[in-house]
Order: sequence, then C-alpha cells, then structure tokens
Amino acid sequence: MELLVQTLVNGLVLGAGYAIIAVGLTLIFGIVGIANFAHGAFFAMGGYACYLLTVRGVNYFVAVPISVLIVVVIGLVTELIIIRRSLYGESHHGSLIVTFALGQAVIAALILIFGPDPLPVASPLGQSTLRLLGIFVTAQRVFILACSILVLGVLGLWLGLSVKGQQVVAVAQNPRGALYSGINVPWIRTLAFVLGVAAAGLAGALLGPISTIYPTMGYGALIVGFTVVILGGMGSIPGAMFGALLMGVANALFETFVSVSWTPALGWVLVIATLLFRPQGLLGRAQLHRH
Amino acid sequence: MWEKGSRRVVREVMYLAAAVVVIMAFGLVFSDPFVVTLAGYTCAFALFALSVNIILGGIGEVPLGQCLFFGIGSYGAAIGIGKLGLSFEIALLGALVISVIGAAVIGAITLRLTGAYFSIVSWGLTGVAMVAATNLEPITGGPLGLFGFPQITLGPLQLGNQQTYFFVTATTLLVSILFLVAVRRSPFGAAMESVRQNQHLAQSVGVDVTRVRLKAFMLSAPFAALAGALTVPYAQIVTPEVFSVGNTVDSLLMVLLGGSQLIVGPVIGAAIFTLIPQVLDLDPNVRILVFSAIIILIMMFAPGGLHQLGVRLRERLGRARDVDPTR
Repeated sequence: MELLVQTLVNGLVLGAGYAIIAVGLTLIFGIVGIANFAHGAFFAMGGYACYLLTVRGVNYFVAVPISVLIVVVIGLVTELIIIRRSLYGESHHGSLIVTFALGQAVIAALILIFGPDPLPVASPLGQSTLRLLGIFVTAQRVFILACSILVLGVLGLWLGLSVKGQQVVAVAQNPRGALYSGINVPWIRTLAFVLGVAAAGLAGALLGPISTIYPTMGYGALIVGFTVVILGGMGSIPGAMFGALLMGVANALFETFVSVSWTPALGWVLVIATLLFRPQGLLGRAQLHRH
Repeated sequence: MWEKGSRRVVREVMYLAAAVVVIMAFGLVFSDPFVVTLAGYTCAFALFALSVNIILGGIGEVPLGQCLFFGIGSYGAAIGIGKLGLSFEIALLGALVISVIGAAVIGAITLRLTGAYFSIVSWGLTGVAMVAATNLEPITGGPLGLFGFPQITLGPLQLGNQQTYFFVTATTLLVSILFLVAVRRSPFGAAMESVRQNQHLAQSVGVDVTRVRLKAFMLSAPFAALAGALTVPYAQIVTPEVFSVGNTVDSLLMVLLGGSQLIVGPVIGAAIFTLIPQVLDLDPNVRILVFSAIIILIMMFAPGGLHQLGVRLRERLGRARDVDPTR
C-alpha cells in the first residue's frame, strides 16, 4: 500500500514536469499549426542557460527565470527569421523538416560548445528530501510541481480571461475568422511560438538539477512531449495536462511493478493504442481529417 | 516529349554506361583501402537514402522511423550469420522478407496517420525497437550488440575485400536505381505522385490512396533492410544504435541535399554528405550543424532540393527545354 501510494505520488510529480513540456508543444501545434520538432532543443537550451548562470555563481532561483528569458529571446529570433518565413502557407512536410533540422543543428552546436558529457546543474535544494505522511519526495521535485501548477494556472487564466489570451484561443479555433475579426494573426502566432518554447526552456532549467544536462537531453523531452500531446489530443491544453499526469503515473507504476528496462517503450504503446482507438486523443476534438 | 522517346532511350543508356564506367574506374584506380571502403559504405547508405526518398519524395511523408527497417536488415544479417550460422545470402533474404512483412503490418497501422502524426509514431516505433534490441539479450546481444562475424561472402565474392565490397554495393545501388526508375514510370509511380501532390484529389479520381501509401511503404522497407545488411561487412558490429534517429537524420539530410524529386538525388546527397566532410576533415558534429543549416536554407528558398536551384537557373537562362529531369 505504502509502495503504491509512493509510486502514485512519484508519477504525479513526474507528470507535472512532463506537463510543462507538453503544454508548450500543444500550444505551438494548436496556434502556429506546426509540430515543433525543435522543442527538445529549446528544452536543452533552457538547461544549458541555467548551467551557465549557476556556474558563474548566480543563485539557482534567479537563474531559472533568466534562462527562460534567454530562451524567449532565442525563440523570438528563430520565429522571426526561420519559422515565420518558411512555414506559413507551407505544408506540414516543410515545417517538420525545418524544425527537425533546427533541433539537429542546436544539438550539434551544444556538443561542439559544451562537449557530449552530462554536466551537473547545482540547485540549492540539492538532494534534500521532504517527508509527508510517510511519502518521500525530493525538494527539487516539489519545486517543479509548484512551478508547474503556477505556470499552467497562470496560462489557463490568461487564455481564459485576458483579451490577448482570448485572441490566442480565437486563432486556434479559426485562424481565418480571427483574421477577419481584426486579430493580428501573425503576431499571435509569434507570441504562441515564443510562449511554447519558453515553457520548454523552463522545463529544461527545472529538470536540469535532477537529470543533469547533456546535448541530446532534448530527444527524451521531445518524445515524452509528443507522447503526452498525442495521448491528450494535439492542440488541446487540458488534454496535454491530463496526458502528462497519465503518462507520469503510468510510467511510475510500470517502472515499479513491471519492468524498468522496458519503461521507455510504454509511452509509444499507449500512443499507438490511442491512435488506433481514439485518434483525436483522449480529450481532443474529433476532426474531419488531421493535417 | 513523346517524339523524343528514342533520343531519351539513347540518353539513358549513355547515363547508365557512364555510371558503370565511373564505378569501374573508381574501383580500379583508387587502391587506398580507406577510400574504397568508404565509397562502398556510402553506396550502401545511399540505398537507405533511396528508401527514405520513396516515402519522402514518393508519398510526401517524413519517415522518421525508416531506420527500423535498416535495423531489421542489420540485425537480420548479423543474427543470421552470427547466431544461426546461415550464409549471408540466406540471412539477407530472410531480413528482406521480414522487413516487407513488418512494413505491411506497421504500415497498416501507421499509414492511417498523415503528416506529423505519421512521423512521430514511426519515430516512436524505432524507440520501441531500440528498447527491445537492448533488452532481448539472448537474441540481439543486448546493449553491446553483435560482433565477431565469420568471413562474410556473397556467392563467390569476399565482402571482406574492400574492392569487392565496393563493387557489390555500387552494383546493388545501380540496379536499385534502375528498378526505382521503372517503378516511377509505371502506373503505380503515377498513382504515388498523385497521392503526394494532392491526396484528396487523387482519391476523388479513383486512386486508392491507402493502398498506394501502403504499397510505397512496403516497397521502401526492403531497400532500407538491404542497406542495413550491406553495412554489416563494413561496420563488423551491430548495436541497438542502428535504430537511433541519427541514422534516419543522416539519410534525410542526404535526400534533401540531393533533391527529393530526383531519383538519383539521394545518391548525389550521399556523396556530398560523405565526401565533403572527408575532404575538409570535418568533425561529425560540424557536419550535422552545417548540413542542418543548409537544409533549413534549402527548405526556405528551394523546397525541392538543390537541383531545383539548378533547374531555376536553367529556366532563367532560357534553356527550359528539359525542365523536369525526372521524366
């Protein structure tokens, strides 16, 4: 019983980390209309920015927001120079290749600059562990959970209540209609892209102290992100959160009770099952065709 | 175009003769084992790029999971000759059959998806394959992989000999290209092209889109498996890394460099991708960085590949008589 509860808690905390990655991915998919294969690269950039800052003596809690800011700037430049130019009016085929190549270029650049080996990110929370009702959680994971709730909550409120947020929702629902209503669609897309990659950067900075950082860390994040997003339904933000928690719990349960070495395959089995039986995802809207 | 049919045949025979001469000359003139082996490996890998291009240039999907079949070829050959004691030919044949059956099963599931969904799920399947290859130690040798093979021979040919290896892979590549040219000119090739250009329009004029996509997928798989098997004599080891997305990325870069609408595009791309870094002595990561940047530029300015720039240039110069070099 104790083990089961501990596993469930581990899973939910793990899922909270996934949720930040996945929400960014689904936001970009829903509004910009591309599957951002460079998402993992921005995740890694967040981790490396945080590493660079903490190594120079910046406090970790200050370094995290600055890292996000750095990723925001890089994301904005990328959007304006590459994404905007190459993707609007293009088929998915083009956007997929461009974002994938971008991700590859970033990984190669990170290897050239920092070397292929994992680097540690120092967090003041260190290895300390909190104990509550017999359940152990590391302090860093509690911090991730808190950040996740804060970010997702603020994002949800912003989308639901603010004018800009409502414009974003409008573009997601019907870009042409939004354009005719006087919404600056290209700018909203830029905003969504930057927000999305900022979330990835935040996740990188948050997960760095747990997993160490290495150039290909983005692959794992990207795969988890896509798994979660397909589970929940591409473009659906509640779906991404739900999918993330589901994936986190499923991973933790499988790892504890079935097999550690087969766990990486679990997500894909879930995804394939989802696409076979409920192609729009668990919380996604059914569409005529998915392009 | 039709009245020029006989001239076209003559021209094609000349291309073919030129290719044979180039292969013979290259294999006989260069005696440096390193250069010849590298050329042999490039030909084998170009086969994989051809396979990727059947999907990318053929039906317009991005096959991030194509290395699944590459891996089936590699592991099939390695398990066949290393564990089961079969001859290379039998192991290769087995791997090809398995890859086609695998493609039929996987395609039936994944080809219901299009665009990013297809790419993501096929990538995911290679992830599953990598986990499986790592864990099924009695069959695959686990994370260390399979190595220490006996002499690999194809009929009377010793693939351990660099020159023989080069001739075998180059010939296989040439035959494959001829086969793919024939496929492209067949009614099936036309159906494939219509699906790539506009799936819904193709469907509305009676093309069975699902069937065409599945057939293209099943056509692409054995080429990838062949490539995977032919790299075994070069690499002498097969690890779960064959399923890594890096392999697919390399071949995608080759296809995009050479141009996805040109049958020999992937081969040109493979040559550029392997030779330039060798000549300039580039670090593999610099190579990925440079070529990725080039791909982004190509996709922004010439989505059909580098040869499209050439075509455009020719049009500019007013010599547009052979605008479409693939026909």
